[in-house]
Amino acid sequence: MPAFRHEVLVVGSGAGGAMAAYTLAKAGHKVLMLEAGRDYDPKTETPMFQTNGEAPLMGASTRDKNFGFYDATVDGGWQVPHEPYTTASNSEFLWWRARMLGGRTNHWGRYSLRFSEHDFKGKSRDGLGADWPFEYQDIAPWYDKTEELVGVCGTNTGLDDMPPSPEGILQPPPQPRIPELLVAAAAKKHGIPVAPMHRAVLTRPKDDRAACFYATPCGRGCSIGAAFQTTTSLIPMARATGNLQVITQAMVKSVDVDDNGRVVGVTYVDKHSVEEHKLTARVVILAASACESARILLNSKSRKFPKGLANSSGQVGRNLMDSTGAYLGALIPALKGRPRYNEDGHTANHLFIPWWGHKMQEKGDLDFPRGYHFEISNGFSQPGAWVGGNLQGYGPALKQDVRDHYGAYVGFALRGEMLPNPGAYMEIDDKVQDKWGIPVPKFHFRWSENELRQVEHGLKTARLLLETMGATVGDVPAAEKAISKGGEIIHEVGTTRMGSSASDSVTNQWGQTWDCDNLFVMDGGVFASNPHKNCTLTIMTLTMRNATWLAGQLDKGML
Amino acid sequence: MTEQQHSHHYQSGMTRRESLKWLGLLVASSTVSMVSGCGDWTHTAQSGAGHWPDLKLAPITARGYGQDPNLLIPPESPWPKTLTAAQLELVAILSDIIVPREGSVPSASQVHVPDVIDEWVSAPYSVQQQDRVTLLHALAWIDDEATLRFNANFAALDPQQQLAIVDDIAYDNEHTAEPFRQIAGAFGRLRSLVLAAFFCSPVGTRDIGYMGNVPIAGDYPGPSDEARAHLEEVLADLGLSDCAYSG
Repeated sequence: MPAFRHEVLVVGSGAGGAMAAYTLAKAGHKVLMLEAGRDYDPKTETPMFQTNGEAPLMGASTRDKNFGFYDATVDGGWQVPHEPYTTASNSEFLWWRARMLGGRTNHWGRYSLRFSEHDFKGKSRDGLGADWPFEYQDIAPWYDKTEELVGVCGTNTGLDDMPPSPEGILQPPPQPRIPELLVAAAAKKHGIPVAPMHRAVLTRPKDDRAACFYATPCGRGCSIGAAFQTTTSLIPMARATGNLQVITQAMVKSVDVDDNGRVVGVTYVDKHSVEEHKLTARVVILAASACESARILLNSKSRKFPKGLANSSGQVGRNLMDSTGAYLGALIPALKGRPRYNEDGHTANHLFIPWWGHKMQEKGDLDFPRGYHFEISNGFSQPGAWVGGNLQGYGPALKQDVRDHYGAYVGFALRGEMLPNPGAYMEIDDKVQDKWGIPVPKFHFRWSENELRQVEHGLKTARLLLETMGATVGDVPAAEKAISKGGEIIHEVGTTRMGSSASDSVTNQWGQTWDCDNLFVMDGGVFASNPHKNCTLTIMTLTMRNATWLAGQLDKGML
Repeated sequence: MTEQQHSHHYQSGMTRRESLKWLGLLVASSTVSMVSGCGDWTHTAQSGAGHWPDLKLAPITARGYGQDPNLLIPPESPWPKTLTAAQLELVAILSDIIVPREGSVPSASQVHVPDVIDEWVSAPYSVQQQDRVTLLHALAWIDDEATLRFNANFAALDPQQQLAIVDDIAYDNEHTAEPFRQIAGAFGRLRSLVLAAFFCSPVGTRDIGYMGNVPIAGDYPGPSDEARAHLEEVLADLGLSDCAYSG
């Protein structure tokens, strides 16, 4: 094999890293990718059709497999052995990691909603947080290309929170199910829209990926490639160009600079030998996840950059944002004992409730600034370790009670925008190192009144919809109690945010760090705000745009 | 390993039996003839009150299946099972009271629910270890109660005697007499696990009417005509017919 001479090092193989590698490889640039976990192939490793009954503990979540036995996540979860993190004494924060090729794209929810003009310019509108350094129209063509490459099903709804895709981009969405149709009717009564979810799941074949066959949950990964993950798409496609090579089990410790402060490469620990190696490159792209990339930068101290690399603004690790989360569900008596049919579908929301409050906010009718959406939980799902019902007594009547309650519950999962606040950030805990000798992150986290009022509104709305469907709900919990813990929704972003000024941001609009022109960040860390719509599609879109720009710079010899 | 492990898990049976004898003396011989359904408080107090087994359970020290188990062929015995033969038998009897055979649909024990319970209470995870405490105390309480009322282990009782005890502990609501509150809660946890394990089995999955986990060629067909007709009725009943989703 001829020697592979890479120009670019990409740290991470998830949504950002794989898209960066794919885009550069397609443009003819040689890329070496470093992944901190093991190699992983969904074609041979995904449990398709295995039942909960065949799994230990009926597939239930455990500390080893936080999302259940069959979840695709390898060597990851809220805790990774030998790779601790710490939280400040008054903070709760959970840091999800996946140590595997493809990262979290192997198990993500595949919800793929475009950010809108509202989302990119929130500060211009309400004075809070930060604007992004471009307009929606700048990134819209890149959403088009990304949606086409990734494969997204859904429709153009005409709603102001869901910018349209050009004709022919979106694949047809699956038919709605009964509880979703009931929710839609209840919502319509109150003027709340319900729309087909956009999901990165193929309903038509694409490349060498098959269309969804509507069975087995996408969180397990997808051996047929219908549910998007980088390990069945971007990574093999990039490898096929001959321009991508991958080193797995490579835990990056720092980005290295020369005496002039120019980035020369990275230092990583090979997890097999626990030895350090240095690699050089013309350009380094960090896409290790928002908090991991910020951690690498903060740990990359040098004489020229004593508070960490690319941190002259002091913003590395700041502006840590997750999505808000809350849940309210109830038994819908009218759905008890309803007729059975196969309700798996593409195993997640066919319909959802997008944010409908932009106009109300313009008029000043709401007491919180940013939006949320509702995901609807319902359905005849595969039996597992939980049963619903009154669950009294025993014998045939008890069994009948369980059968009657099966598929009769509906729940609303709120996902909303969090604004950055000074109490939510990460730093390095100098006292704690992981097994690889790398100082670990220390998290500080709190919600502000903005998020609490938003959740309060969401809970009231969910109760209204449940009651409209005939449920008895009672008092809703207080927002402080109902709101998720920081990190729990696994949408953490913002820790290396982009902006239009080197004084208050870490990168420019291309993900290029203000301090080092051959160092880029291409993961959720660059988000200037965290709209309610799930970050992955926008991570990929931004990365495609910015890696294309980077390829142009390389071609022009600018870097 | 079983012998040794069991001696670790349990305080000497004799000690507990002796304390039971004490308790038996206190609550008097009337306990044997008492009871049916939901007795009044003072009556049931004599059997239910005052006894709760004091088991010293050593923590489970087995390892879990780790963060990278084989998902294609899930481990059949991810950790050593810890129930004794007597406990398994008791679980089997209770499982079949909870989920009896109905026509051609087998009972819980016929689809190996007790093995699932054994795997569950033997697992080295926090939820399961809490359940282990709950369930092993429930099993011991039920045998103690059987001894107090009928002077034999639960397994040795005739079905009527067994149901006399189960009737007192199978309803956990505002009518539950104080002495049965704790055991009713613990029995409820067993009941939930038995039901889950039953409905996770292939026959149970058919019985509950789950029709998914099969590949579909072409587009997802959506709800059946019957399901759509039912929804229309529901919408009409709720006054939502005018709000039906139109895509």
